[in-house]
Amino acid sequence: MFQSGLLPVIAVLLTLYFAVVVFSYLGVRRIRRGALEKDREAKRRLYELAILKEVADRTGYSLNIQKVLDVIVGSLNQFLEYSAVSYMLLSPSKIVFKADLERSVSSQFIKDIRTRMLSALSALLGRDLAGIEVEETITGAITLEDIDEPVRSYFNIPLVIGAELVGVLTVSHTKEGLYKESEMEILYKVVNQASQAVTKLEEVVKTEQGKVAAMVESMIEGVVMTDIDYRIIATNPAAKEIIGKKEGAPTIFDFIDAFKGALDIRGKLEEAIKLDKVLTIDEIFFNNKYYKIVVSPVRSSVGLTRGQILGGVVIFHDITHEKEAEKMRSDFTSMMVHELRSPLGNIKKIGEMMRSSKILEDKQASSEYVSMLYESSSSMLNLVNDLLDVARLEAGKFDIDKQSMDIRTLLAEQVKFFEATAQGAGINLKLLVGEKMPNYVMADAKRITQVAGNLLSNALNYTPKGGAVTALCFVHKKGMILGDEAAAIGAPWVRDNMPSTAEIPDSIVVAVTDTGEGLAKEQIDKLFNKFTQFASSVRQSDHKGTGLGLVIVKGIVESHGGTVGVGSKAGTGSTFYFTLPL
Amino acid sequence: MEQTEQYKAVMSEIIAKQSVILGPDMAIMRAKKVSGIDIGDNGEVTGIDGDSADALKRLIDTYVELSGQIVRNALGPIFTKYPDIKHSN
Repeated sequence: MFQSGLLPVIAVLLTLYFAVVVFSYLGVRRIRRGALEKDREAKRRLYELAILKEVADRTGYSLNIQKVLDVIVGSLNQFLEYSAVSYMLLSPSKIVFKADLERSVSSQFIKDIRTRMLSALSALLGRDLAGIEVEETITGAITLEDIDEPVRSYFNIPLVIGAELVGVLTVSHTKEGLYKESEMEILYKVVNQASQAVTKLEEVVKTEQGKVAAMVESMIEGVVMTDIDYRIIATNPAAKEIIGKKEGAPTIFDFIDAFKGALDIRGKLEEAIKLDKVLTIDEIFFNNKYYKIVVSPVRSSVGLTRGQILGGVVIFHDITHEKEAEKMRSDFTSMMVHELRSPLGNIKKIGEMMRSSKILEDKQASSEYVSMLYESSSSMLNLVNDLLDVARLEAGKFDIDKQSMDIRTLLAEQVKFFEATAQGAGINLKLLVGEKMPNYVMADAKRITQVAGNLLSNALNYTPKGGAVTALCFVHKKGMILGDEAAAIGAPWVRDNMPSTAEIPDSIVVAVTDTGEGLAKEQIDKLFNKFTQFASSVRQSDHKGTGLGLVIVKGIVESHGGTVGVGSKAGTGSTFYFTLPL
Repeated sequence: MEQTEQYKAVMSEIIAKQSVILGPDMAIMRAKKVSGIDIGDNGEVTGIDGDSADALKRLIDTYVELSGQIVRNALGPIFTKYPDIKHSN
């Protein structure tokens, strides 16, 4: 028997023992619970990493969100229990609804899920989606009508790409209160990370597309790009201008209609895509312009679609100017041949006539024929010399021999040379020289004589009887206007249609002003073009010369580092000038 | 309506809307975690402790944190019904 005094001690010890046992049990339980929770958390993390890796491996974070969702849906059963996992994707004309059944449910269950998902989308978009077409696909387990289990647990995850709602993902079950917040959150995290990756990829693609679009926009050629179904995916302003589409995005039908009768654009695109071949239409005439058109298939050079034909491109190259230049060249050649043929024909005829002894005996007739021979051969020689000069200028083989020369003396001699012609034509010819002219300038005297002679000859040719031709020469200072400087020495100057002369560096200016027919602006623009000049000269048969003189003048002056210019007004007269830099 | 009551009504409507968008389980679970708001099992706000405007902001932020700005955009029509309520939506 225990002594009565020991009982309280035993009671205390027993209490302590039980307390230790209870605390130990609770502690172990807490530690075990913590370990389990840690284990679950590790599993969740593992799932998160695994699924994101799978998404990346299988789609390379494709731009196609549906592919990404299919991967997530396909592996979700490793992590969550569910009856159905489904997604809805918005497109302009319909909603794609796909449900994957893990276990059999009734069609009412699917209908219920579909309604809830549409309500979620509707709430997010702020508009009613009741009338929109829903394209439904059910995969996985079969639906059984005798299963009368409604939706008891579900949660939705909005799908957002680049701040735009693209759809919703829903996980649902027939059991009630099934999903824990941590489980739902992990799926939110996975979906959000995948969406962000797609968003970033889209941004990269958009940036790259922007660069290509900017390049296409700035192209002079009209460019039209279509997809495989001939829907236009890009056009640049030049292409829109070709078909006269000022506003809005053109469709392929705009191009088909515009080129109706000239080119079957759709047919050419089909041909290029089917044959996988670049087609070139060398020339079509459309809206008063000539175009060279290239139609080519477009192949993907990257990613999974590498090598696939993605669509077609049509490039419109405006060749109107090339055609005009080609025509000018052709006209020039035929006119030149004609101009050479006329004097040659004369020489031949005169030669034939002079073979007759009767003509040779007639001294007066012989003398006339010899003069005609001289004129015809001189005319030919002038033309050939001019052509040779132009050819040398164009080939950059026009040599000038700069020597110290007195420009005043040169001009005085030229004026004296043309005095007789001027008198004969009833034209007043004079020379005005400015002050402070240098005694000598460096120039090729022979070629400058040719230039001055050409300007004087032209002026006399185009000035009517009673008119005046003034040769003038003065020193120009940069920043001053030539017309003002000419006025200072009392010389006439036609400023009309003359570009600014203030930027011309310090120079000697030689000019010839006449009171002749004058020229319109469009004629001035053609003055120094060998093709147009020669043609107009041939048409104006009452004025002598090849018309190439001014082309040669320009070449000679520019070889000296100077410039040539014109001021003219139809019915008033003209001023032609050239400069020799000081 | 007293202003606190207005806040309670607004918050209840927000939770109801988020229940449609996210599903009721998720919407109510998230709302229950927001400090300063008492929520019934049906998602109705029964009481607010402290500043109502702050509580409202915390409630909206918890949904934005979960699924982004898109859920904030969906709240516009609710606030138009309560012009006196201060919010940063």
